[in-house]
Amino acid sequence: MPASLSCQSVISVRNIVGTSIYNNSGTRTRYVTAACCKNRAARIRVGKGDRPLTYEQALHPHHIGHRKGWLSQHTSNLQGEGGASDRTVEEVFVRCFLFGTFHNCLANEIVIKRRGNMLAVCTLMLQKLPPQKLYFLIGYTETLLSHFYKCPVKLEVQTLEDKAVYKYL
Amino acid sequence: MAKCIYNLYKKKYKKTIKPIITPIPMEAAFHRFLGQSVTEEDNCPAPTKIMAAPMVVGRNIRTFGRIFVGVSQSFLQGSIGLNACRYHGRSTLFRPLQLPAACLHTGTFSSSLPSSVIVTEEPDTLYQKVAVLVKGHDKAVLDSYEFFAILAAKELGVTLGKVFEPPRNIERLTLLKSVHIFKKHRVQYEMRTHYRCIELSRVTGSTAQVYLEYIQRNLPEGVAMEVTKTSMEKVPEHILEPMWNDPLTEEKPSQ
Repeated sequence: MPASLSCQSVISVRNIVGTSIYNNSGTRTRYVTAACCKNRAARIRVGKGDRPLTYEQALHPHHIGHRKGWLSQHTSNLQGEGGASDRTVEEVFVRCFLFGTFHNCLANEIVIKRRGNMLAVCTLMLQKLPPQKLYFLIGYTETLLSHFYKCPVKLEVQTLEDKAVYKYL
Repeated sequence: MAKCIYNLYKKKYKKTIKPIITPIPMEAAFHRFLGQSVTEEDNCPAPTKIMAAPMVVGRNIRTFGRIFVGVSQSFLQGSIGLNACRYHGRSTLFRPLQLPAACLHTGTFSSSLPSSVIVTEEPDTLYQKVAVLVKGHDKAVLDSYEFFAILAAKELGVTLGKVFEPPRNIERLTLLKSVHIFKKHRVQYEMRTHYRCIELSRVTGSTAQVYLEYIQRNLPEGVAMEVTKTSMEKVPEHILEPMWNDPLTEEKPSQ
């Protein structure tokens, strides 16, 4: 049939560009999806069922504002406010710093809140370290970060025995 | 009428701030705000042991101190009650606040030494309208903040004008999903800004300062505030009467 032949000549062999042919219903044409179509941001793919996930990891980013809260709360993303890039860079540094200082002890993502000049870092920790070491590390983080950012930094810590599992994927 | 607008959310990195936060005695803060000089005897010892949410000290008190609602309320409650008798003539009488039941109450307010306050004779500025516009990403947070601000105003005896919600603003960005090529696949982000406006009508300068300081210390994180004050000034004497009525003043320019 001339129609189907012309379609097949149009379909390119290259896998990069994704097209789907709607002209011919009934004929079998090649459907090629581009590698970029699916969203992969902040999502953990479904697996065998043995991987525990926290609530934060289990919900996808389009649930932010509906079922999830915000991990960093500051005013620079509001209409008419500035300084968003500076805040983002600061927060990336703070997260990396805390991830390294409290290695293997963080139960969940860090929540950073800015109240006036003060930086409040709210964390959930596992009870892996003895309390004296934990207190030392908390004081060390607070003083070091306050000297870096020239503003009072306060660490609000809550400890858990184990990670709070929401579901298994 | 003069109009002064200032933004209160801006952080000012003026000098290196000590990491250990010393709480400012509430008395001293109120004195500064009410335009009265603080004498040496005012350095009363730190009244509370509130360390759950320490208050930040700084030159611009307006830009600081968004702390836990309950803590600061409990802190200010005591100080408001104490200062009521002292600032009788200058500002409105404060009654202690009736707090909602679900607030955190840490630390007790111990009575400080009575401080001597210098009362100035200059007249207080009068504001016809003080408009407080709060912006935030979360509408629920703004709802609760509006409830808190209205409650505070009612308790302090501040007359409220209208409280309304300006329409929200959504800023959308459409960006390429991939780092390289794939022009047809994009990602869309949006940033929503919700507003709430609370207007106070016919307040004096000192009342407005105190109310605004209280409101700002309890501003939640992620919420910005803009305050617009419309003050009333006396009409200058030389334009009270038209020039053509007065024949004496007309002779001088003709010479």
